[in-house]
Amino acid sequence: MNTNQVLAVLAAMMGVTFALRALPFVAAQWLQKHPFVQRLGNFLPLGIMTLLVLHSGIGAAADHPRGPWPELAAVATTAAIQWRLRHPLLSILCGTGLYVAWRNGLLF
Amino acid sequence: MSTAAPPRMSLLSLTMPVAMGYIPLGIVFGFLFVQAGGAWWLAVASSIFVFAGAAQYMMIPMLAAQLSVGTIALATLVVNLRHVFYGLSLLGRFPARGPLRWYMVFALTDETYSVLTTLPPDTPTRTMGTLAALNQGWWVLGSTIGALMGSQAQVPLQGLDFVLVSLFAVLATEQWRHRCTALPVWAALFSYALAYWISPPHALVLSIALSVGAALLWRQPKPEVAA
Repeated sequence: MNTNQVLAVLAAMMGVTFALRALPFVAAQWLQKHPFVQRLGNFLPLGIMTLLVLHSGIGAAADHPRGPWPELAAVATTAAIQWRLRHPLLSILCGTGLYVAWRNGLLF
Repeated sequence: MSTAAPPRMSLLSLTMPVAMGYIPLGIVFGFLFVQAGGAWWLAVASSIFVFAGAAQYMMIPMLAAQLSVGTIALATLVVNLRHVFYGLSLLGRFPARGPLRWYMVFALTDETYSVLTTLPPDTPTRTMGTLAALNQGWWVLGSTIGALMGSQAQVPLQGLDFVLVSLFAVLATEQWRHRCTALPVWAALFSYALAYWISPPHALVLSIALSVGAALLWRQPKPEVAA
């Protein structure tokens, strides 16, 4: 990785992330006046998270010949543990652990 | 100073669960970043100046693939879009002005948001700011440990970067728990299938555009109003 390239990326990511977090604090009246913002707020976060799981999961499945089964099993494990126990770290560790074990032939 | 003790206790008990998550996840982030060829101090800098867990994980393969700044910025916009809707429920709770206000806005991650929204409404802003800073401290600490470990060790395991997919799955599960309708999931599945059929490399951006369209068309069920 080129240091200048990474620094440029970090600056851009900082700007974008801060702008998103600051938007409601600088444009609260505008945001609250427009009902479509509320609709987006109720609809988009779940939709975008679903898309990110799909897209990153499909990306991982394309990297190896074992098909989508490790990805499906690991995502299901993560979601099930999170649903029951509400413990993000435990869910992430179990899902990722299962995945890494499967991908490296430690299971079969 | 009899009033100083209880807030201090509760601060620690509030930040501890976040520490239990941020330190290990920060270690994995720092480790993966250095293993992908980044300098250790850049991993630490990203945790200090960007402070967005999922986006930081996401940038590792994108940096390794030498994608453009614009592409990575767009991906960050997508991954962090949910943060726009966080601030709306904290509007009246942050300090009205000054550096503390802007630091708290900067540090408004998923975890800090969920801790801050559980605090009683009369919580002093200084306490809220300290909590945000402690949470970021755990993330920076974890990243630093991981980055230093990553520059020492070689791990032959494949698939460690799946931690990002798991993180997205956790966030999706929490969004599902607080859903007001299941439609976003169906819209997302349909959008992605269509977008992937049109163009696999642009499937994410296309499907997000389709989902935004679906959200704008969606008519939210109106609460019953007494006549």
